[in-house]
Amino acid sequence: MSTFLDYALGGVGPGTVVALLALALVLTWRSTRIVNFAQVGQAMFTTFIALAIQELTGSWVLALAGAMVAGAVLGLFVQVLVLRPVRRSDTSGAIIATFGVLIVLQSLAAMIWGGDPQSFPTPVSNAGIEVGDRVWPISPYDLLILGTAAVLVVALTLLFTRTGVGLAMRATAFNPEVARLSGVRVGRMLGLGWALAGLVGAVAGVLVAPSATLSPNSYDILLVFAFTAAVVGGLDSLVGAVFFGVMTGVILGLVTGYSDSSSAPVAVLVLLAANLWLKPEGFFGRGKARVV
Amino acid sequence: MLAISHLTVDYGSARALDDLSMDVPRGEVTAVIGANGAGKSTLLRTLAGLVKPTSGSATLDGAEIIGHRPEDIVRLGLSLVPEGRSTVPELTVDENLRLGGLWRSRADRSSRQEELYGLFPVLADRRHLRADTLSGGERQQLAIGRALMSGPECLLLDEPSLGLAPLIVTQILELVRGLAIEKNLAVLLVEQNAVTALRAAHTAVVLNLGKVVMSGAASEIAAREELRHAYLGY
Repeated sequence: MSTFLDYALGGVGPGTVVALLALALVLTWRSTRIVNFAQVGQAMFTTFIALAIQELTGSWVLALAGAMVAGAVLGLFVQVLVLRPVRRSDTSGAIIATFGVLIVLQSLAAMIWGGDPQSFPTPVSNAGIEVGDRVWPISPYDLLILGTAAVLVVALTLLFTRTGVGLAMRATAFNPEVARLSGVRVGRMLGLGWALAGLVGAVAGVLVAPSATLSPNSYDILLVFAFTAAVVGGLDSLVGAVFFGVMTGVILGLVTGYSDSSSAPVAVLVLLAANLWLKPEGFFGRGKARVV
Repeated sequence: MLAISHLTVDYGSARALDDLSMDVPRGEVTAVIGANGAGKSTLLRTLAGLVKPTSGSATLDGAEIIGHRPEDIVRLGLSLVPEGRSTVPELTVDENLRLGGLWRSRADRSSRQEELYGLFPVLADRRHLRADTLSGGERQQLAIGRALMSGPECLLLDEPSLGLAPLIVTQILELVRGLAIEKNLAVLLVEQNAVTALRAAHTAVVLNLGKVVMSGAASEIAAREELRHAYLGY
């Protein structure tokens, strides 16, 4: 029982990162009905920027802030420069375009920073905390991840439920025509959705960097986990993305613990397949099933 | 006054509106009636900026509205209630109304919202419920309320009677007629249900294949039997 608990708790920190990436996917989905496969590429790229800031200033907080700004700008860029022109033709074209963006970002990162894995420092200890007479699989760094994610989720919730911009963004997501007729500048809201997603993804990138090592391709597998969490959560639901993101982490912790880490992606894909088979609209989603 | 002149709209090679000219005076309800495919909805969607016309113009109190984007046309004082009780079902009643006046100042918005709750008491009782829990009639009132939140000079209504019980339709159209007179609004009402529309409207225009075939006082048109047979099918 105690091993079970250790494996499960050990998955909470990584799960929170998956949750943030899933949240980013949901934000782009809600604003433009496009799954952004470049999301992890953007997160990887902004984490390299964060590493550069970290090495220059020695401040982890500045590095995180820099990544957030870069993430928002990059998200906006991708939406305005790549998706807006492509979107005019069709949606599947836009989704394929996000793959193109992923490849461009990875190549660009390899050209600028090289392909070798780089280590990213943690601002606080990453060793398990000792409480009572045992060491728990939760480190101060895991708590920092949880705290940062909680602040971000609360801030987003307040933005969406308490502000006019948030209302305009939700209306745009649910019914763009009524939003336009109400005077909402829909184009701006779409750009803002992508910028927010980029920002959230950038935070996830920096948080996961110490445990994943940073290279142009090292975040690829995270897309599988985040995509699964977002889909199982219903793609439209911020709460669903966060909940199933953390759950995915816990499942990964258990599978890796009892078997080994190479089984983890398979376990997650089984989860995704089971979800699409049993409850294709997702657990927090509303309305009709999606056509996949 | 909304003045439409020589408006032509093409969907590919199909002409939806053909050199259409008409006036929508303030303080009145002007009904546009005609069979399916006569161009009624196209007319409203063009005026609201959702459809680009091939040629022609439309001015609201002298200001050109054709060529602007929908989000700017609302700011010029023209508000459309699209077909199908178009609210945002996932938002609450309160949020739907706020949405309609988001571009206005906060103070302006709250006073308008209170005024609308006075006008639609049933919405006030349900202000924290999601719009998709409302009945058809209530949702239509909410859709009209959302359009009124922007404080329009001109209100366009696309088939507000669709799928509603006759008694509710009468209530809603009476309310619209009252609003036109009281607030000096130019109201353009598009209806397939000609009987209902002619009862609520002051003047009426009959459309057929994108052209005006007849216009005049609503009561006059209602009395023209041969016209009813030819274009309205009853």
